[in-house]
Amino acid sequence: MNRRSTRLVALATAAGLAVAALSGCSTGGTNAAAGDDVTLTWWHNGTGEPLNGFWQDVATEFEEAHPNVTIEVTAVQNEELKTKVAVALQSNNPPDLFQQWGGGQMNDQVAAGKLLDVSDDVAEELEAIGGSAAGWQVDGKTYGLPFSMGISGFWYNKALFEQAGITEAPSTVDELNDAVDKLKTAGITPIVVGAKDKWPAAHYWYWLALRSCGQDVLQDAGKDLVFDDECFTEAGEELQSFIDTEPFQEGFLGTSAQQGATSSAGLLANGNAAMELMGHWQPGVMGGLTEDGKGLGDDLGWFPFPAIAGADGAADAMLGGGDGYSCSASAPPECVELLKYISSVDVQTRFAETGAGLPVTAGSESGVTDPNMVALLEARNDASYVQLWLDIAYGNNVGGALNDAVANMFAGQGTAEDIVTAMNDAAAQQ
Amino acid sequence: MATITLPSGPAPQRVPAGRRFDWGQPFVYLVALICIGITVVPIAYVILGGFRTTGQLAARPNGLPDPWVLDNYAAVLSSPSFWTQVGNSTIAALVTTIGVVLLGVMAAFVIARYEFRGRGTIYTLFTAGLLFPLSVAILPLYLLLQNLGLLGSIIGVIIPQIAFALPTTIVILVPFLRAIPEELEDAASIDGSSRVGFFWRILLPLSSPGLVTVGVLAFVGSWNGYLLPLLVLNDPAAYTLPLGVQAFSTQYSQNTALVLAFTSLAMLPALIFFTLAERRIVGGLSGAVKG
Amino acid sequence: MSSNQFVRHTDNDQSGLPAGRASARPAPGRADVVPDSPTTREAEGLQHKRRNRRRGRGEIVLFAGPALVVYLLFVMVPVGLAGYYGFFKWNGIGPLTDFVGLDNYVRALSDPVFIGAIGHNFFFVIASLLVQGPIAIGIALLLNRPMRGRSFFRVLVFVPYVLSEVIAGVAWLLLLQPNGPFDALLTSLGLGDAVQLWLGDPTIVLWTMLAVISWKYIGFAIILFLAGLQGVPEELAEAAQIDGASWWQIQRHITIPLLGPTIRIWAFLSIIGSLQLFDLVWIMTGGGPANATSTMATYMINFGFTRSQYGYGSAVAVILFIISFAIAIVYQRFVLRRDTEGALTRRVG
Repeated sequence: MNRRSTRLVALATAAGLAVAALSGCSTGGTNAAAGDDVTLTWWHNGTGEPLNGFWQDVATEFEEAHPNVTIEVTAVQNEELKTKVAVALQSNNPPDLFQQWGGGQMNDQVAAGKLLDVSDDVAEELEAIGGSAAGWQVDGKTYGLPFSMGISGFWYNKALFEQAGITEAPSTVDELNDAVDKLKTAGITPIVVGAKDKWPAAHYWYWLALRSCGQDVLQDAGKDLVFDDECFTEAGEELQSFIDTEPFQEGFLGTSAQQGATSSAGLLANGNAAMELMGHWQPGVMGGLTEDGKGLGDDLGWFPFPAIAGADGAADAMLGGGDGYSCSASAPPECVELLKYISSVDVQTRFAETGAGLPVTAGSESGVTDPNMVALLEARNDASYVQLWLDIAYGNNVGGALNDAVANMFAGQGTAEDIVTAMNDAAAQQ
Repeated sequence: MATITLPSGPAPQRVPAGRRFDWGQPFVYLVALICIGITVVPIAYVILGGFRTTGQLAARPNGLPDPWVLDNYAAVLSSPSFWTQVGNSTIAALVTTIGVVLLGVMAAFVIARYEFRGRGTIYTLFTAGLLFPLSVAILPLYLLLQNLGLLGSIIGVIIPQIAFALPTTIVILVPFLRAIPEELEDAASIDGSSRVGFFWRILLPLSSPGLVTVGVLAFVGSWNGYLLPLLVLNDPAAYTLPLGVQAFSTQYSQNTALVLAFTSLAMLPALIFFTLAERRIVGGLSGAVKG
Repeated sequence: MSSNQFVRHTDNDQSGLPAGRASARPAPGRADVVPDSPTTREAEGLQHKRRNRRRGRGEIVLFAGPALVVYLLFVMVPVGLAGYYGFFKWNGIGPLTDFVGLDNYVRALSDPVFIGAIGHNFFFVIASLLVQGPIAIGIALLLNRPMRGRSFFRVLVFVPYVLSEVIAGVAWLLLLQPNGPFDALLTSLGLGDAVQLWLGDPTIVLWTMLAVISWKYIGFAIILFLAGLQGVPEELAEAAQIDGASWWQIQRHITIPLLGPTIRIWAFLSIIGSLQLFDLVWIMTGGGPANATSTMATYMINFGFTRSQYGYGSAVAVILFIISFAIAIVYQRFVLRRDTEGALTRRVG
């Protein structure tokens, strides 16, 4: 046994060397002082158009403004990029600027000292971005900036609401329950959820935790991965009592979120149900699920997740997700300049015009025209903070356990305590 | 097949057999038809569904095409991504098959026809591989491929496929090669042929039934492979057909008819290939299970 | 290959059996090529063989080397590493430092979800045997009779087995969706009350998966049985028939007992396949809803990849392997013994 394990260790070491050798092949990464010739490497996930061309344009503009800088832009497919970044950061030659999704993965990178703390350099940008930047901060320090940020909320069918005699979008959970009752009375399926995919169900818990817990509680939990605060159990209890009102479509456990006309988005798009809690991508998905390609058209409305009376969490906190960039710890100062340029109103406005995402910098909203998207942007910009999707914020491991546990609760198997236990257990295994 | 070729009594005796079993004949056909209905109807639904529109499918889920629509199949056949995936699957399956058969027959040759210390160990080592499904090793294999820089590349699919098909291949081929009489080898060597020459000129042609069996199994296995490509390939441009089917069914989920057309076309190559090779496979297997 | 465990194991059985038998049988074409072997020639041949043996080392390395290297590097090393990683708490990136001993194993075996997954595997093991076995034997016996269009029927019956799991899974997902074609079929047959949430109801879904799995893999059982039936001498049946035995009596007392070895091999392959079930389940239900269809393999992928617990996932893989291995050994010893005499562990020569 002993000899065998030594050999295995040797093997593992050899494999590790292979990693180093491979990543050594990647170009770039310099520590030259400002003013000298500098090469920046930039990895992003915009493999398709319009993003690929857009980022190339941004790089070219930056090079023109900074003659000493050469930028090597590499577009890598999203999932592959995650692995590639993780491996490259272990090597001594990481990319300078790279896609950053925030959350648990970023926490690990910060803990390992792989990211550049840009807090002091981007004060102005932080102000312009507001609450959306929270996902790229740890312990009050900023390790990256988002360039796109969307939030979730209830997408609803205005015509069905009218038919059921609901005049105003619910703003509290009690009003939401009333709306559910009225819809049921009118013979309309109140809410669809794609519980087969787990995360759409888990979003309910995320939102209820956001309403039940304070910002510091949520963020400390994300950092320490300890979920002992009572508010986490409260979120589960709130969810249980909401599920008990039976607001969801028949067979929601086997319903997928986005596949086909019988998915939750398909049911909403085809007028078979009144509401769905879903992210900002919903109109696009719904359009694809109707034969005319339009979804509900003008009948589609949006309202943020309602408040819970007397709960600890902020009623104006929002839940969402987005994309950003970080500079690696060894990146030259020019990387921060590039990061700031990407966040400028000019670049952000043009980014919004590509339709590839929702801009974050105040003043760039002119690129967005759709009324629902404008409402969503307003809610996001007015938010006291925007919490990242909890499965991302808490990392794959705890996030996965959370999603599984919530899905179990939807299936009638598991209590509010079980969810918290599952998260704590998963965290202990990290 | 063999039932026909086996010399089993004079032919006339079969006629009375038919007479005696006459009552059973309609029953046999009935049962056969029911079985085939169950196995084939879902597949027929997929193929026929491709000739309908999504509207038709929604209005009458289990109707026949009315009218017949060719647009879906035309759309799939004219989509570059479909052909890219056909190409990727073909490359993966062909290279895997060639690699497995070549490496397998060479190793089996040595195990079957050389005497040396460690021969038994090597054979046992390969045989043990039959109990390691890919799923057991997939996590470390994934990390290994990552370290070798093979993630995202079709080579990262092909090489492990070859490796995991080797035990089967060798275990089937060794008896084949051993069954070829020693005298042949001696004769060849007297005629001035080297051992390697004997391998190429005599052994390979004689063992071709075995080679076809392992080749077909490797080909179909690679063509249908899912878990390995799923984890190794990230870029849609490198997708094989099974990944393509899954991606396509998600991307065009609103257009059920188009998904059905894509699925039909994706299953076609393996079906044709198997239909052509079916006799060989049953023949090869019958050697395996003859009691 | 991998993903299609049944294909792999098909061969597995060949591994054992044919190894023993084929060598005893004349190779195809042998009769035509066997030279008359005069004694002088034989002696010369022996001399050659001895010389060959001496200079064979280079050839051995040349011929067996590539296969061995590929096999060791991509099969044995990963399998060994799985055993090694299983002792660590590890997220797949960074050094292996957090040695936890057997903690991962203890944790897996005390996780009700994993125990449930093992239970589902054994459900599939037993139910597959009970459902597929009798039906497949019946169909094989029928298809073995001389009848018009027999080879056409045979090909059609095998079709589901040849399809990739992805295609089968996607097709069945569409067929079984709520208010989909299958429900419509039931309704049009007047069985509207029997309509269920086939994939959405945790109490139903395991049976739904059993039906789909049986549909997918029964063709393999039929192929094997048909192949086995080719080895049953027709003379026996004909003699019995002349003695006045009915068709059913012949099958019951002559054919099926002679098919015994084939049935036992099929059962072995079916058991191993059920224990390693992954693709169809992953595509159709992902192990859900509420873990109602999780298997050891879906559990492993869920933890290993989705949750990045590589150490824990590896430990689960090792458990999966140990269970398969133990069953394989026991089955070899007690059931297959008379058929193969330990072919799996038998050495050449």
